Amino acid sequence: MKYDEAVAYIASRWTDELVITSAGTSSEIWYAETGDTERVFYLEASMSLSSVFACGLAEGVPDKPVWVFSGDGAFCMNPGMLQVERQMNLPNLTHFMVSNRVYGSTSNVPLPGRIDNDYPAIARGFGIERVYSFGSMNELTATFDEAVMEEGHTFIHLEVDPMDYRGASPPMDGPEVKFRFGRYVEKATGKQVFSAPLDNG
Amino acid sequence: MEDNLAASQRSATHATKTGYSAEVSQEIADVCADAGISLVATLPDDWIASTIATFEQDDRFNHVPVNREESALGLCSGAFLSGTGSAALMGASGLMTLVYAITKINYTYEIPIFIMITQRGTFDDGAKFHVSNGLYLEDVINSIDMPYTIVESRDQIPMIGEAYHHSRKISRATVAVLPKKLLQGKI
Repeated sequence: MKYDEAVAYIASRWTDELVITSAGTSSEIWYAETGDTERVFYLEASMSLSSVFACGLAEGVPDKPVWVFSGDGAFCMNPGMLQVERQMNLPNLTHFMVSNRVYGSTSNVPLPGRIDNDYPAIARGFGIERVYSFGSMNELTATFDEAVMEEGHTFIHLEVDPMDYRGASPPMDGPEVKFRFGRYVEKATGKQVFSAPLDNG
Repeated sequence: MEDNLAASQRSATHATKTGYSAEVSQEIADVCADAGISLVATLPDDWIASTIATFEQDDRFNHVPVNREESALGLCSGAFLSGTGSAALMGASGLMTLVYAITKINYTYEIPIFIMITQRGTFDDGAKFHVSNGLYLEDVINSIDMPYTIVESRDQIPMIGEAYHHSRKISRATVAVLPKKLLQGKI
């Protein structure tokens, strides 16, 4: 499966979910596909923490679905992220783990345990109940509704080819990402994120 | 297998037997609750086992034991964006592993985070393997300009709430340092 085709399909099914992307490719491709600067937190400095970051968010906005992307490079650094996810078992959290067996954002340097890493088995081993694995667009599109649109903490393994993509980062500095996303959360959920309330008048 | 609550109670009993104060743990929890903290992510250290158990057993908190200190930081940073007050509780050694994550996530995006740590490596710490914390902990904290406060006695426990609010005010990381004698109820 092609990385950009998989992300483009997921983006085409995006409605009101909050989205967290991770370092490098997933942030760049999601921004290239959607151009969104409000409903996405581009966590480009994620270093294996995008899914736990999403857990913190999802726990506080239980009525809002949250999609989070990570890569298998991040997964190798911090597979215990799934222990935290399982512990919290948030029904509004869907974790897309994009696997290309390389550190894709750093010139496709091969991963440790590259070929043998069985990510769905690892997820099940940590007790996660809703685990899906898609290696083709046909599989992804055929099962998307069941895997993604139904409620329940879900881990989705997307097996994609390495690619030589080097797109532009979303054109915002960190604080702008924070304020745009945080203000959107405030408007969408009624929760107060920042100490100074937004004057909608 | 015993459930989480039973395991937490067993840990708390052990912590009390080894000299750590359940009353101080409760005072810390009360100050955190009053400050608006409702999510607490923890990694263990002998000195704070009682405090971790207190958070686990107190319904005012969603206590999340995490797999590593960086996950506590990620979790609390995401929680901020949902308007949830949070704290990370860990040993001093845990903070020593966090320089990269704090500077990358919290400094890049200006996301506040509040961290409570043990003051390992002091003269009353019998563990030789914490010598490095005694030598370098404060220097490491200062190297990335994190405001911190050492809670020197029980009457200073309210400073934990002040340190939390300060993190929100400056959109950066702040640290409250918990000495051994404080956690034992001796100062």
